[in-house]
Amino acid sequence: MQGVVGAFHEIDTTVAAIEDLKKKRIGEVTVYSPTIRHELEHAIDAPQSVVRRFTLVGGLLGVSFGYWVAIWSSTYWPLVVGGKAVASWIPYTIIGFEVMVLVGALSTVAGMFINSRIPRLSTTSGYDARFSGGYFGIFIACDAAKAGQAEELLRQHGAVEVRREA
Amino acid sequence: MASVAHPVREGIRGPNIASADVQLPAVRDYEQVDRDIIATLGFTKKWFMGLSVAVLAMLIGASAWIYQIYWGLGQAGYEPPVMWGNFIITFVFWVGIGHAGTLISAILFLFRAGFRTSIYRAAEAMTVFAVMTAGLFPIIHIGRPWKFFWLLPYPNWRLLFPNFKSPLVWDVFAISTYLTISTTFLYIGLIPDIAVLRDKETNPMRKRILAILSLGWRNSDREWRHFAKAYLFLAAFSTPLVLSVHSVVSFDFAMALTPGWHASIFPPYFVAGAIFSGFAMVWTIAIPMRKWFKLEHYITLNHLDATAKVVLFTSMVVGCAYLIEFFIAWYSGVRAEQEFFWNRVFGQWWWAAWIMLLCNMSLPMSLWSQKLRRNPTWLFVLSLFINLGMWFERFVIVVPSLSHEFEPWQWGSYAPSWVDMAFLVGSFGWFFMWFLLFVKQLPVMAIAELKEIVAPRVKHGHGGGHH
Repeated sequence: MQGVVGAFHEIDTTVAAIEDLKKKRIGEVTVYSPTIRHELEHAIDAPQSVVRRFTLVGGLLGVSFGYWVAIWSSTYWPLVVGGKAVASWIPYTIIGFEVMVLVGALSTVAGMFINSRIPRLSTTSGYDARFSGGYFGIFIACDAAKAGQAEELLRQHGAVEVRREA
Repeated sequence: MASVAHPVREGIRGPNIASADVQLPAVRDYEQVDRDIIATLGFTKKWFMGLSVAVLAMLIGASAWIYQIYWGLGQAGYEPPVMWGNFIITFVFWVGIGHAGTLISAILFLFRAGFRTSIYRAAEAMTVFAVMTAGLFPIIHIGRPWKFFWLLPYPNWRLLFPNFKSPLVWDVFAISTYLTISTTFLYIGLIPDIAVLRDKETNPMRKRILAILSLGWRNSDREWRHFAKAYLFLAAFSTPLVLSVHSVVSFDFAMALTPGWHASIFPPYFVAGAIFSGFAMVWTIAIPMRKWFKLEHYITLNHLDATAKVVLFTSMVVGCAYLIEFFIAWYSGVRAEQEFFWNRVFGQWWWAAWIMLLCNMSLPMSLWSQKLRRNPTWLFVLSLFINLGMWFERFVIVVPSLSHEFEPWQWGSYAPSWVDMAFLVGSFGWFFMWFLLFVKQLPVMAIAELKEIVAPRVKHGHGGGHH
């Protein structure tokens, strides 16, 4: 992807650059950070993750399937075991719960993968190996016409390195 | 080029996690975290020696398994009425060990307990390997391990499923779900750290493998946003799961009418015992690890102190459960139950019960002393006693109950054979083999989360690192 990437060593300069970029609307901004930082989250102000919907749907499907398979299989062969009802709700809650956790958790992971767009084969343009270490990074997706403005802004805010990505 | 003025922002001055007890004052910046944790991956002589001992112990267990398969399950020392012995005892022991990992990584995460950060990765790995170890024992116990898939909940050709009302089927659901979720939780947490290793790696082949394992993770705001939410929900699922799993394991006993087993106190009693034993195993692993890997400034005395308080609390819960069991037996008015509990402490297996009471109820009371809570040597020694005590707790639950049921003609005995003991040794070898392999391949501490504790560099104002 075409754009400009800047590496920052300090978090406050990164935050200031993000806020300025949002005001000037040069292009779509991607922020890299070695860990989760609340200051960056507040500056980016991204919408809430939709992973929770995957969790809810997965959990509901799981609990429904868990109860259904236990009840259906009991009624298919209606054998009385241990003097209990053929389809016993209370013990089947264990099956329903375990399958809810299993499907719900795996759906959550699927939701994270889909929304984060991973797995990917390469780290793609705009990434720098330092962003997993001690540096923060900002990538601005923009065409060549706006690249100069983006470079200027990143340097103004104290980026230790700025480069264009083809 | 003129730089723009930056106001000093509140909230950019410190780490994400505010609790003063778990700060890492000796860690200056993010780069140091990378250096220190990646340094633990270097191979050492001590590690090779440890791995050799673990593999040897594992081979002893594997040999015993081959011997047992050839000569039959009778070699394991079982004879009526005690048909559950070391296999079930050790199964419950290892499932219990696994619980602390999920407690530390999930429950303490939800409670925002900062002391988890330095120890949770090792504890999570411990969980996965402990559950892998536990899972072997039902397979060993069925005698014909190649038929293990009969345990799985799928129908035969006439669409007859396993009995969903059986605690043994609940066990299959609980343990397999637990293994899947704890492995997933471990791996998801590892992804950003594997990306750190990938970015530092110079060997092309290893870099490629790490790139695949890190799934192309880039530390972008989009990835962190969804990661944080997914991690939260995984923790939220794991929390009731961890409580359910040992409750389900306790149902293996509590659903039977056998004296000493048929008690409603079993689920909370088992869960508390599991957390207690799991934390002890965390000490057994983390205390040598912090010394050998020179991680004293990551696992500080404050961290050990906090874990010691959890151990002290769970020891009291477990001790209370032991005493309530005696009370219930007396209060029930059921003679078989009363005689059984008298037999538990003064009968054939009195020594096992007293080892349990000494290790699990008495010795942990030393942790009322702050000086001992902050003494790593004592905590390590105590962890060994607790591990011993918790194995004997399961022995006391399984063997005396089966050997002393309602009718005197049912009474019998149990003598573990060398095959039994070889499986026990082998289980420790198997567990430590995996753990030792893990610590040299992947970060034993969560690099990304440790960075949350460390204050980031700031240009204007007061932050961590250089200004």
